[in-house]
Amino acid sequence: MQLSDCKVEIVRRHNKVVYRDGDRVIKVFNASKPAQDVFNEALNCARIQEAGVRVPRILEVSQVEDGSWALANEYIPSRTLSGIMHDAAGDELKAYMDQFVELQLEIQAIPAPILLNNQKRKLIGMISVVRELDPTARYDLQMRADGMRSGRTICHGDFNPSNVLIPEDGGKPYVCDWTHVSRGVPEADAAMTYLELSLEQPDWAELYLDAYSVKADIPKQKIRYWLPVLAAAELSRGRHLYDEFLLGWINAAADFE
Amino acid sequence: MVRKPIAIDSVDALAKRMQQMRAAQEVFATFSQEQVDEIFYRAALAANKARIPLAKMAVEETGMGLVEDKVIKNHYASEYIYNAYRETRTCGVIEEDKAFGMTKIAEPIGIVAAVIPTTNPTSTAIFKCLICLKTRNAIIISPHPRAKACTIEAARIVRDAAEAAGCPEGIIDWIPQPSLELTNELMHNSDIILATGGPGMVRSAYSSGKPALGVGPGNTPVIIDESADVKLAVNSIIHSKTFDYGMICASEQSVTVVGDALYKKVKDEFERRGCYFLKGDEVKKVGNTVIINGSVNAKIVGQPAYKIAQMAGVEVPKNTKILIGEVSSVDPSEPFAHEKLSPVLGMYRAKTFEDALEKAKRLVADGGFGHTSSLYIDTAEREKIAAHAEAMKTCRILINTPSSQGGIGDLYNFKLTPSLTLGCGSWGGNSVCGNVGVMNLLNFKYVAERRENMLWLRTPEKLFFKKDCMPVALRELKDVYGRKRCFIVTDTFLYKSGFTKQIEGILDEMGIMHASFWEVTPDPTLQCAEQGLRQMQAFDPDCIIALGGGSAMDCAKIMWMMYEHPEARFEDMAVDFMDIRKRVYTFPELGSKAFFVAIPTSSGTGSEVTPFAIITDAETGVKWPIADYQLLPNMAIVDTANMMTQPKGLTSASGVDVLTHALEAFVSMMASDYTDGMALRAMKLVFDYLERAYDTPGDVEARDHMANASCLAGMAFANAFLGVNHSMAHKLGAWHHIPHGWANAVILTRVMRYNSAEVPTRMGTFPQYDHPKTLARYAEAARFCGVTGADDAEVFERFIAKIEALLEYVGVKKTIAEYGVDEQYFLDNLDEMSEQAFNDQCTGANPRYPLISEIRELYLDAYYGRPASSYED
Repeated sequence: MQLSDCKVEIVRRHNKVVYRDGDRVIKVFNASKPAQDVFNEALNCARIQEAGVRVPRILEVSQVEDGSWALANEYIPSRTLSGIMHDAAGDELKAYMDQFVELQLEIQAIPAPILLNNQKRKLIGMISVVRELDPTARYDLQMRADGMRSGRTICHGDFNPSNVLIPEDGGKPYVCDWTHVSRGVPEADAAMTYLELSLEQPDWAELYLDAYSVKADIPKQKIRYWLPVLAAAELSRGRHLYDEFLLGWINAAADFE
Repeated sequence: MVRKPIAIDSVDALAKRMQQMRAAQEVFATFSQEQVDEIFYRAALAANKARIPLAKMAVEETGMGLVEDKVIKNHYASEYIYNAYRETRTCGVIEEDKAFGMTKIAEPIGIVAAVIPTTNPTSTAIFKCLICLKTRNAIIISPHPRAKACTIEAARIVRDAAEAAGCPEGIIDWIPQPSLELTNELMHNSDIILATGGPGMVRSAYSSGKPALGVGPGNTPVIIDESADVKLAVNSIIHSKTFDYGMICASEQSVTVVGDALYKKVKDEFERRGCYFLKGDEVKKVGNTVIINGSVNAKIVGQPAYKIAQMAGVEVPKNTKILIGEVSSVDPSEPFAHEKLSPVLGMYRAKTFEDALEKAKRLVADGGFGHTSSLYIDTAEREKIAAHAEAMKTCRILINTPSSQGGIGDLYNFKLTPSLTLGCGSWGGNSVCGNVGVMNLLNFKYVAERRENMLWLRTPEKLFFKKDCMPVALRELKDVYGRKRCFIVTDTFLYKSGFTKQIEGILDEMGIMHASFWEVTPDPTLQCAEQGLRQMQAFDPDCIIALGGGSAMDCAKIMWMMYEHPEARFEDMAVDFMDIRKRVYTFPELGSKAFFVAIPTSSGTGSEVTPFAIITDAETGVKWPIADYQLLPNMAIVDTANMMTQPKGLTSASGVDVLTHALEAFVSMMASDYTDGMALRAMKLVFDYLERAYDTPGDVEARDHMANASCLAGMAFANAFLGVNHSMAHKLGAWHHIPHGWANAVILTRVMRYNSAEVPTRMGTFPQYDHPKTLARYAEAARFCGVTGADDAEVFERFIAKIEALLEYVGVKKTIAEYGVDEQYFLDNLDEMSEQAFNDQCTGANPRYPLISEIRELYLDAYYGRPASSYED
């Protein structure tokens, strides 16, 4: 793949640079990014799209000149929902949150492709590599995760307003970044969203939990039950920024009689 | 041959170790009760002796709980469990009931996978090891990583003592370094899982695909009723809540007090005994320290109150027993509404007892479904206790009892099984609801030997017979039974012919009042019975006299039933049964208002001695066959004088009916020595006297014997029941109005041939009927009636010929067609008729279980007079 001279850098992260290049969005990963992760993201994206979710279409996976892998999607002229929400307050903010929850429920209502990763196995695997936790805490967390039923819901795994695109033409929203998608139970997916919002936007988190619980008709305690497990899984991503906060939540995970 | 155990440090090692354990367990499974009891005894003693060091180890390793309290738990796990099962038989034959032929054999299950929690790491290990030893099972323990050293030590002590007492090596083992992978592998490969722990682990156990005895968390709510003894209540709660710093799953989590006055008293008593009521924002501080995102903070579990307060930044006296938060919400968002596994308690105020029940219900539903609930109350308040028991969806409901000590059984109630694994039923997602014990770790074999049914002989209290006996017999109504008002039920013909006159005269002589209902029609209807009933009710008799043939007697029986029990429903009474003793409907008792006397005027139905009656609802056309020994008359008077004027047709039809009764009762699966005697004598009398009675109506001797034959056959089939011949005849009567006796006779020899098959498609289901033997039974009857022959088959053929000759003599036609049944109408209704005959109540006792298609063939053969088919399968 060759990027044109018209490419514009959108964002730069520790493992990738994202460009807009005409009508394409191109993620160029670091040379160290394993090919299987890139193909997996593309595969997830294709599966989700074919299941009927509105996602920016996947166009190409190939190497750029230096041998790094890159992934090209269609470009959607849009704003992120988080950007829009940051400008809103009060009832307006609440209305956007409702829209956000409804979008999540809409996706959760679509039957998940059977070949998606299994949420429970994914979480157990993630927890097993968290070195910040002692083996006893990992055991408790894995036991709790192991008790999770095998759901049949598309769980985005990173569903937050910055991954929701609101098209400028007023069309229906798109959801991007399907790296962490799995097939699992909706309350755990909601817990993940709640966890992410709690880290970055705590006031949105409570707003979200209220709205999700009511609209999905799932008691909050069923969502909260998974927080220690997800906090541990979040630790495995090695971002370290919120380690202390997450460890505080994990303390509640011991599986007592 | 048991090899030296290998360390379990990988999935492969676990698989190998389990193989070894299986071999050891197979040896263990052969041990006798005495050997097992010795091992159980030695192991319990060893665990008991180690109770203090084990308690110390547990507290040191887990950093939770109190040594002295853990000593009690270890003591309990060894002593109480031993005591509970010392006499229990768990090996081989454990119960034997020779009369019923039932033997119960106990066998071990195999390898038990045991998951042990951190909260009771040594006592639960002792408990599980002991009950496995008692049941000859092997056990592998997956300890909790936080408590592995003490759990393993407890298991080791039990194992060493067991092995020293002769237990095969390696029956008890453990995973030294537990991991999710090993625990799951263990559960998958075990034979049963004994899972004590949190909901995650228990769910894991249930999803392993192996039977699991999983138990779960509690959220015990306490209600203190206004009638409660406050001192007892508060101090019991403190005693229980502080035990091992609140780590028992049955421990109280919240107290709801009924009424403001009591609330103050309760609060004062808590304070007086060293509990601390959190003030202002202290409630929130402690709440948010104890519960994080709806789950218990691991750091506070099993910690003293003072330490928890410190962690929450709340200043309390060092010796504080319990931290109490006064809260109002029972919603899960309220931390004090949760299970707290520490000396932290929520306290609620309820306006009424009902309000308290509602709160407790919610607390149970949100955190402790199926576990334990508790109530302090004056035990005279039975209604409240019952209302509480009904409202609580918990498997243990404790009254005036500290719940930690009370829930595990045998400490505050001596009927509750002692156990450290408390089942929470389906409410808690568990397979067990009681306290788990040795019975949950055994497979039982029930060896059931064939037994024959008990049979019976039921007859009227009194039966009088011989010509002209009636006037003498009726005297008993006054002399013996002291009856004052007699109601006579009969038909118009008999009434107009003056049959009742003689009875009325005798009653008048005795000064017994009487009234009569004489409008019984043939095939009596419900409407007819209701009409008679109104007269009967108006007269209010203490005696009913039924005079006539089957119709009058049946109708009178029904009127008797309605007179005594106006509330009884025919549709319930008429439901078919497989066994009259096991029928769903229980008949009300008859005879409390009126004594029932039956006087037959024909020699056929035997209704005077049978428990049957048939009534037709004229509005719907439905025939209700009612059968129950309650309908048995109290007295039967068989006076031949009443039968001398029977017309020829009636003599023939009722006579061949008697023969059919006798033959069917004799080959019925329920035939007995008692009914056989009556049936054989009855059929012989028919052969000897029916032709004479038919030819010479005034032949008293013949009439006398026919009357007796009818009554004898009646008693035989009242107890042995009938068969498919009657089932089919009933439908010929219903559809084609062939008189009942002839309807029986026209198919009789064909049905006999059908029943005598040595290879029937299906035989009847009754333990006494052990092989197809109806041919031999017919031959036995034939020989009794004077038929001879070289073998059963020949005797049977000659018997058939003898019966056919008799039938011909008394004018029975040879085919159904000859009774004027239209061919097309017959064929159109044949399927329906066959199915209904199959479904007739009489079919049940038939020695051959008929197929509907076979009944259909029999009907067709009998319609056209086709040569008899071979009815062998």
